[in-house]
Amino acid sequence: MREQNNAELIVPPNTLKAKLGIGTGGIDPEAIKRAEKAMEGLKSEFSDWLAKDIIHLNDAFAAFKNESNSHNASILFRAAHDIKGQATTFEYPLIARVAASLSKLMEGLKSRETTPVALVEAHVEAIHVIHRDKIKDTSDLTALTLVEALEGRVVKALARAGQTF
Amino acid sequence: MSGLRFDRLRILVVDDNQHMRKLVVTILQAFGCTQIIEAIDGEHAWSVLNDANPDVILLDWQMAGMTGLEFVKKVRTDPASPNPFMPIIMLTGHTHINHVRMARDAGANEFLAKPVSVKAVLSRLMAVIEHPRPFVRSKSYFGPCRRRRPMDEYSGPERRANDDVAVLDDLPPRKQQ
Repeated sequence: MREQNNAELIVPPNTLKAKLGIGTGGIDPEAIKRAEKAMEGLKSEFSDWLAKDIIHLNDAFAAFKNESNSHNASILFRAAHDIKGQATTFEYPLIARVAASLSKLMEGLKSRETTPVALVEAHVEAIHVIHRDKIKDTSDLTALTLVEALEGRVVKALARAGQTF
Repeated sequence: MSGLRFDRLRILVVDDNQHMRKLVVTILQAFGCTQIIEAIDGEHAWSVLNDANPDVILLDWQMAGMTGLEFVKKVRTDPASPNPFMPIIMLTGHTHINHVRMARDAGANEFLAKPVSVKAVLSRLMAVIEHPRPFVRSKSYFGPCRRRRPMDEYSGPERRANDDVAVLDDLPPRKQQ
């Protein structure tokens, strides 16, 4: 244990390394292959998982549209944020982009009262349509145009509200 | 498996999204982990922490109730915490550099951005096992050292000497907002 004026540096013993044995260091390519194969085995479930996440998003939006309070906004943000993080894994990268745009909008606007509900609804609808039409290709021109339009409108909405983050 | 006995590792996976939990658990099992405990949110994780006695926590950030950030701070500073030095890997859909800073400043050891990749999960696990960071205790912070490189490799001026905030060597400069 060392003292550095105001900051104290503590080096705990590496009990984990002792517990797991001495490794060879580096990443084991066989472990990567095994895990990727295991993920392949889950692929048949991905579409169903995403469908459930989208239903949750729809429910969250319905509640928010009915009452745009902070509680409902948080639930909607988390639903969008989950989809943002997972949709690419579930083979729908454009849905991930739309969800990212919606998360940015919900996180960026401080006042829930000023949240443009129509813009939120456009995001939810876009996610629904991309999933319904099974658009997994990131170069699908129609879907891409829609995604970019939504992202642009979010940037403008945040700029109007004086938010850049 | 890099010679490491992952079957000896106890991991607590905390995520309020059951699909993400299943995905992460599947990856960990493929690595050879057999001792995996799941928690459905921060409160649940805190309530099982003593009994679960994990070696590593894989933790989602955005959860209803106690967030991942709040959970990390609780593990690091709550007098009832069973192990303030617990390795914690923050799993999140946040990718902005400010979010990385927030996770690190809360006391997370590693940051794992979604969408998760097999290689990234293994890489973060290996980091906390093979190259754990020393801890820093100051007036305003307790947690893993926020410098990426080992202390002994640093040969520049000791900027921390009169400052209780760790120097940020591994991140680009903050943007003016």
